[in-house]
Amino acid sequence: MSVPFSQMWTVASYVVTQRLRGRRRYPLVLQLEPLFRCNLACAGCGKIQYPAQILRKHLAVEQCVAAVEECGAPMVAIPGGEPLMYPEIGRLVRELVARKRYVYLCTNAILLKEKLQEDVFVPSKFLSFSVHMDGVREDHDEAVCRDGVFDQAVEGIREAVRRGFRVTTNSTLFDGADPLRMRRFFDEMMALGVEGMMVSPGYSYSKAPDQEHFLRRQRAHELFSQMLSSPKRQWRFNQSPLFLQFLMGKQDFECTPWGIPTYNMFGWQRPCYLLQEGYAKTFAELMETTKWDHYGRRSGNDKCRDCMVHCGYEPSAVNHTFTSWRGLRDAAVATLTGRL
Amino acid sequence: MPKEAALEGFTPQIGTEVTLEQLVERAFDYRGNVTVIRRDGSSVEGYLFNRNRDVADPFVEMFDKDGHGPLTILYGDIRTIRFTGKDTAAGNSYAAWLRAKEAAKKASVPPAADA
Repeated sequence: MSVPFSQMWTVASYVVTQRLRGRRRYPLVLQLEPLFRCNLACAGCGKIQYPAQILRKHLAVEQCVAAVEECGAPMVAIPGGEPLMYPEIGRLVRELVARKRYVYLCTNAILLKEKLQEDVFVPSKFLSFSVHMDGVREDHDEAVCRDGVFDQAVEGIREAVRRGFRVTTNSTLFDGADPLRMRRFFDEMMALGVEGMMVSPGYSYSKAPDQEHFLRRQRAHELFSQMLSSPKRQWRFNQSPLFLQFLMGKQDFECTPWGIPTYNMFGWQRPCYLLQEGYAKTFAELMETTKWDHYGRRSGNDKCRDCMVHCGYEPSAVNHTFTSWRGLRDAAVATLTGRL
Repeated sequence: MPKEAALEGFTPQIGTEVTLEQLVERAFDYRGNVTVIRRDGSSVEGYLFNRNRDVADPFVEMFDKDGHGPLTILYGDIRTIRFTGKDTAAGNSYAAWLRAKEAAKKASVPPAADA
């Protein structure tokens, strides 16, 4: 596994502190969406379908920083939209790094090389570019509905690695994904010099154009088992090994919908990054007034039945690691042996 | 009440076709601009992004068509809501992209020569 020790230590001490304080619900990662505008229109994305006046708007840096402070999570993911289209992305990242938040800038990397050449960013252990890559060239270009994007992203990754930035990839897998091609993709990404990779099954957004190719739970277990069994020594994943085991069907967790809360121009999104069932004005209001027992598999909510997405289950895996001897043992064994 | 795909252009009458609560839910779920008509005859056109029924005075929140807001309107002040903007989530872009890609592939393959 490839999460740097300092980051792992920050997360571990944060989780233990929350537990010692008796907090039942606490966030691990803030999903900060400064804008919805994007330079792609991917088939599986339900985030960008808005009228023009909404796509033209974005949050002010001060609003973003206030949300980060209010939430208190040690990690901040900046998706969107495409965050490199946010006019003040450099200043926003500088502000968050100065506050020692671990920032994952989730980008399609079309603009990455250009922004790096403009010196918008400075390498830091607190900043990682998380490049959206859904598989080998033909699979990725098909997922993002545009030819040539894979090659642009590879150019961006090479430039970022060359300049000393932390770079990870994030891959969303849909039904029809080929485990053997994905293994070839992992080889390709590691050969580019990325720090680690992240994988997750896609979620069937009700507003996404493609509703036919999302993974159902059993199919997801089969796919991830075929893909991740006998992992190669050189593969590194920038996520909890227990979450990967969960995807393979070797661990069973319940969703932690408050683990990765989302903030955007509408407010604090209820209940999670994927479902959009309303907004709270403050983080405290989100935590106190959301009907959390209406979500997750045990709730019987149809929208949650087949979901295995990282934003609900990776926090469950992390909490399990740092709050139970069994979880700690399983994670340590997977980390030390490289076996999942 | 029409299905979501057919909401664009829908101009319902509350009480006969739909309840206010049902209409607000549909407007909240709609990814296009709507026009909220108030009981005093004034109206606001824009994107309705939130509603809350779990408070003493239920309300909706909107950004108007110029992006100004958020504006808050109480349920009790709403006469009706019209689905006046284009539904940006409608359509089938993935299927259209696959069709275009397939057509491009066929066009780039020269026809086989007759034996």
